Amino acid sequence: MAAVAGAVTRWLTAPMPLGRVAAFRTLIYLFVIGDLLWFTRWVRDHGDLPGELYRPLLVGRLLPLPTPTPALVYGVFGALLVAAAIAATGRLPRLAGSAVALLYFEWMIIAFSYGKVDHDRIGLLVALAVLPTVGRARHGDRTRSEAAGWALRATQLAVVATYFLAAWAKLRYGGLDWLTSATLTWAIIRRGTFLGEALLAAPWLLIAAQVGIVAFELLSPLVFGLRERWRHAAVGFFYSFHVISFATITISFMPHLAAMACFLPLEKLRPVVWLRGALRGRQRAGGGAARQPVAVAGDPPVRRPGEPADRPQLE
Amino acid sequence: METLTARGRWRRAAVTLVAGVLLLAGTLWGEDDHFPFGPFKMYASAVDPDAPAEDTRLEATDAEGGTVLLTPANTGFRRAEYEGQLGRFREDPALLATVVDAYQRRNPAAPPLREVRIVVRWHEVRDFEVTGEWEEEVVATWRR
Repeated sequence: MAAVAGAVTRWLTAPMPLGRVAAFRTLIYLFVIGDLLWFTRWVRDHGDLPGELYRPLLVGRLLPLPTPTPALVYGVFGALLVAAAIAATGRLPRLAGSAVALLYFEWMIIAFSYGKVDHDRIGLLVALAVLPTVGRARHGDRTRSEAAGWALRATQLAVVATYFLAAWAKLRYGGLDWLTSATLTWAIIRRGTFLGEALLAAPWLLIAAQVGIVAFELLSPLVFGLRERWRHAAVGFFYSFHVISFATITISFMPHLAAMACFLPLEKLRPVVWLRGALRGRQRAGGGAARQPVAVAGDPPVRRPGEPADRPQLE
Repeated sequence: METLTARGRWRRAAVTLVAGVLLLAGTLWGEDDHFPFGPFKMYASAVDPDAPAEDTRLEATDAEGGTVLLTPANTGFRRAEYEGQLGRFREDPALLATVVDAYQRRNPAAPPLREVRIVVRWHEVRDFEVTGEWEEEVVATWRR
């Protein structure tokens, strides 16, 4: 028993590169800003709704959180933007990260206490809760860390649980009948695109899709047993599933998609380094011959021929 | 490599276990109210291929007699939200006055609303196909 617990704990905290957490953190906090401004900007509209329409969720009643007013909604909105912008740079990872986690949770209570709860963001919520526990992590740092490993593993588990437990919920609410039901037909009638509506002509295809969805949801935990290359392929398949859902029934699952990036070797993505490299290349191309000093902001204004620069040359 | 202390490792394992158990319990017995541990029940009900598909809307008549569709853009209230509170509106149609307040707050220059109603259009479905026939049901009406 102790051996099993030890093995599970080692798996949960299997070390991962700190640079992966640094990149994932930037992605997640930038996503929070995108979520506030674009993806779920309707949350802000709840500030205009009279308090009678607020039906607080259990956690909102227990704590107890205040009934939203325009001041509360815009206050949380502004504070979240600032905290997420700081956290996205990697500065104050614990303080700014914890602030984002708490404020975003309140934002979700404001979002979901008016009669509709979305089920697309447990992965994001877990990511926000665990990222501050890693502490400092530099972009590009290949040092492996157990704290980083747990943060990524916890998010991966939440992402896969979204699929696996969604299959359970289908069995609970729809039963086995769900497989041959008209659920996708109904989804297309309500919010289908022209691509989705084209599928209405072939109900058997929609039933096959329903069987496929439940099979893939039930099998999704196998992703943890795959070797790296196949694991990335499986995650690619998950992403493609959401592309098709969006193209046919306009369901996007954006927060889930952002969280799912925790499966990918993000430490290899170095956009800032690439951009700097590209700019350097341009400067060289535009300057004198190769390896000759080129005037760069910050260099001493005058330098005699042959005089060495007082800073290491760009290389 | 940066390692955790034994305490740090066990604490993380314990948090993972508790969260996992709560999520599992929420899936088996929970409801949306238990957010964030409720069941992942998006599109989880089995829709009968011969049952009508509902399409709910909020509409109003303004002081000039025009019909105004109340949308998330002009009220801040989404379709899934008033569908989720349909039982409350059915029992107490006067609650619709709050939606009028929300509309007026966002559209101060628009003609005032005289009447608001929640209408469900039931599209007939036969063997997975929409026949094109429909019936409308007014679930709740409020008049100023």
